[in-house]
Amino acid sequence: MKKMKRCLILLMALAMAFALAACGNNADTTSPEGSALADGSAPADPGQEATPTEEAWTPEENITLIVSYKAGSGTDNTARVLAAYAEKYLGKPVIIENLEGGSGSIGWTALAQAEPDGYTLGFLNLPNFNATIVEGLASYTVDSFAPICNHVTETSVILVKADSPFETIGDLVKYGQEHPGELKASTNGSRASNHIGAQVLANSAGFEYTDIPYGGTADQLLALRQGEVDFSVAKEADFASFASEVKVLAVYSTERLAGYPDVPTMGELGYYDQWLGSSRCIVAPAGTPDNVLAFYEQAFQALMEDPDYLQAAESAGMFTDYMNREETGALIQQQQAFTESLESVW
Amino acid sequence: MLETLSYMGQGFLNALTPLTLLLMAGGTAIGILIGCLPGLSAAMGVALLLPMTFTMSPESGLIVLGAIYCGAIFGGSISAILIHTPGTPASAATAIEGYQLTLQGKAGKALAVACFSSFCGGLLSCISLYFFAPLLAQLAMKFGSPEYFWLSIFGLTIIAGVASKSLLKGLISGALGLLLSTIGMDPIEGAQRFMFGQASLYEGINTTCALIGLFSMSQVLILAEKKIRQRAKANKFHDRIALSGKEIRRITPTILRSWIIGNLVGILPGAGASIACFLGYNTSRQFSKHKEEFGKGSIEGVAGSEAANNAVTGGSLIPMLTLGIPGESVTAVLMGGLIIQGLQPGPELFTRYAPMTYTFFAGFVLTQFLMLGIGLLGCRGFAQIARLSDAILIPSVAVLCVVGSFAIHKNFVDVVIMMVFGILGYLVRKFDLNPAAIVLALILGPIGEKGLRRSLLLSGGNPAILFSTPVCWVLIALCVFGVCSPILMNRMERKVMAASGGDASEEDTLPPRTSE
Repeated sequence: MKKMKRCLILLMALAMAFALAACGNNADTTSPEGSALADGSAPADPGQEATPTEEAWTPEENITLIVSYKAGSGTDNTARVLAAYAEKYLGKPVIIENLEGGSGSIGWTALAQAEPDGYTLGFLNLPNFNATIVEGLASYTVDSFAPICNHVTETSVILVKADSPFETIGDLVKYGQEHPGELKASTNGSRASNHIGAQVLANSAGFEYTDIPYGGTADQLLALRQGEVDFSVAKEADFASFASEVKVLAVYSTERLAGYPDVPTMGELGYYDQWLGSSRCIVAPAGTPDNVLAFYEQAFQALMEDPDYLQAAESAGMFTDYMNREETGALIQQQQAFTESLESVW
Repeated sequence: MLETLSYMGQGFLNALTPLTLLLMAGGTAIGILIGCLPGLSAAMGVALLLPMTFTMSPESGLIVLGAIYCGAIFGGSISAILIHTPGTPASAATAIEGYQLTLQGKAGKALAVACFSSFCGGLLSCISLYFFAPLLAQLAMKFGSPEYFWLSIFGLTIIAGVASKSLLKGLISGALGLLLSTIGMDPIEGAQRFMFGQASLYEGINTTCALIGLFSMSQVLILAEKKIRQRAKANKFHDRIALSGKEIRRITPTILRSWIIGNLVGILPGAGASIACFLGYNTSRQFSKHKEEFGKGSIEGVAGSEAANNAVTGGSLIPMLTLGIPGESVTAVLMGGLIIQGLQPGPELFTRYAPMTYTFFAGFVLTQFLMLGIGLLGCRGFAQIARLSDAILIPSVAVLCVVGSFAIHKNFVDVVIMMVFGILGYLVRKFDLNPAAIVLALILGPIGEKGLRRSLLLSGGNPAILFSTPVCWVLIALCVFGVCSPILMNRMERKVMAASGGDASEEDTLPPRTSE
């Protein structure tokens, strides 16, 4: 029995050493004693410091991809499909790190502060990312990140329940104008992306409605399916698993969407005529060398053209939309300007 | 119908391959390990191992994730029982009775009860998964904003049961928890409340952090306050682990009640295992014939909590698979796994993809047996931890607390929050308040607030909406029952006691007694 006890003590000590080692990676700079405890006497691995600066750069260790939302969230799912095919093109595995919280700002802060050595990349979710800056949650700006490429773009659409009396967007607007404030829309949070969509519709069509924030797209759409609200604005990938329960009345785009050729755009009907939706682009911390960015830009482009990846992305309901560095940078700036201009719609 | 039955049978045959069984056993073992480490929750475990399942077939991948899920929910009870540190929020209520049993040297017994109840809860929840999934899924559709408001009120009535010594102190604890639950972003207006410029507090206080602080860190402080004894805490150490037939008969009604509770709570999106364990625990107390044991280490209390939280597992899969509604974080990750495999949740899973779905269900059933096996085998070994001296236990638990709270988001602010809650928990125990009530209110506060405020927004401020549906009235009736039953029971007990002249005094659940 005594022997067993000793074994257990040893086991526990080992478990703790492991745990310390696990967080030692992050805590290296702040608590040297943490890593010293973990691996006894050996100092930090010297191999980690060497970062080649030659023209053509290729990664030599695993690449971390920061997702600022929970595991299982929309961004996480799309990131994981991408990561599953990444090793073939990047040469090293991609490890997804979920740093959720603070409406995404926790993950983006960590990304902005990460070493610009090409081993930490992350997803920016536009325009949620821009909203954290505008709302003062962020210690970063758009210039804290170096764009690499765009991954996924989803366009916003207007949804009603399948058995709703509103057959067209005209019906909805007419009812809204005749009964100010009676129409109820579920949103994914106050001033969140889908609230912006509903607000933009109401402003451009000239009616009043009541917004009910549900704090997340899944809950928001559940409320629509339950009939608790009259309409909702969501992104086209959000309702794939219950598409038969809802009707799409209009899309927020400059041209009709491939998936809904019969559904008019908002602009066609004389309402808001700009594109609205969300984009997820891949960025590195500002200061990452140009050759590193160029490597990733090319690698991700090749990856997003891979037939296996495209097949997987399609069955997962993802709208892959590659853009190069310049286009991505322009998109981030444009979304920032759009988000800042939103103060006038409320 | 016959076709469905053949799918079900075929599912078992598919799941009974050596490779799948190996994956199941591996998943269950990893799940138990993840579950018993505080800070690593079931959702994290499933998310961490999700990428590994991409290369597997969808059914194998889902079976592994399901095994991790079940294992982790059970695993949380191990540390809850042994070191008063619920490994996951789902085991918060298990710590109340389980730790008392450990102090009496009955750690092995408590673990065996937890394992057996988890097995029963999980297995029974498969029944509804198999036969009533589409029917029960409709329940999720019936729960709108007003219903969630009443559900949270019903949950809060448990405080009356948990705080058996002083209702007033229980209510103070609950109010404190509700107050703390308002920290973070206002769910309706988006205003920042009590955040003091900390972006980490935007989504409120992390329940796991608060839990680790209130239960474990405060435990460390209280243990450290006493003179450290070199001897193990439990002087008497019962090595008997096997449950007697009498004990099984005693916990069977509790397990059945907890199964129904856990299953129903699991189906409701957003409620989840952490609420189910409290409801299961409280119900086991209300119906127990041995009420005097509650607070002093009751195997029924452990069984009630553990059967309920594992019954959630099967229940929570129902709305995810049939309606595409992920009820809690684990099923959200599982749904992500499905989508990545190119499968959309919905009725098609039961028609076009029925072979895959029923193989997964069969794997889920078999996992319960593996969990029972692994758990019972491990009990004897795990229980030895209870014999460790405080000199080892105190620093070990303290380290686990810090590592666990850091691991949640890899964010140091969480460690600070955990420490603050540790000190709060210490003070709370010194003042004889109730940490379980604080956690309960912290979990339920946001659900109730959102439910109430959304309901009133929907009705334009008319409170009649809160009484508008039959489900509301059922929940209101349950609330009334929840508030009145402890009072009535107390009165009845007193009458019985006065008649028999006994002096079975009511005891508080709180102060961690050490058996000297």
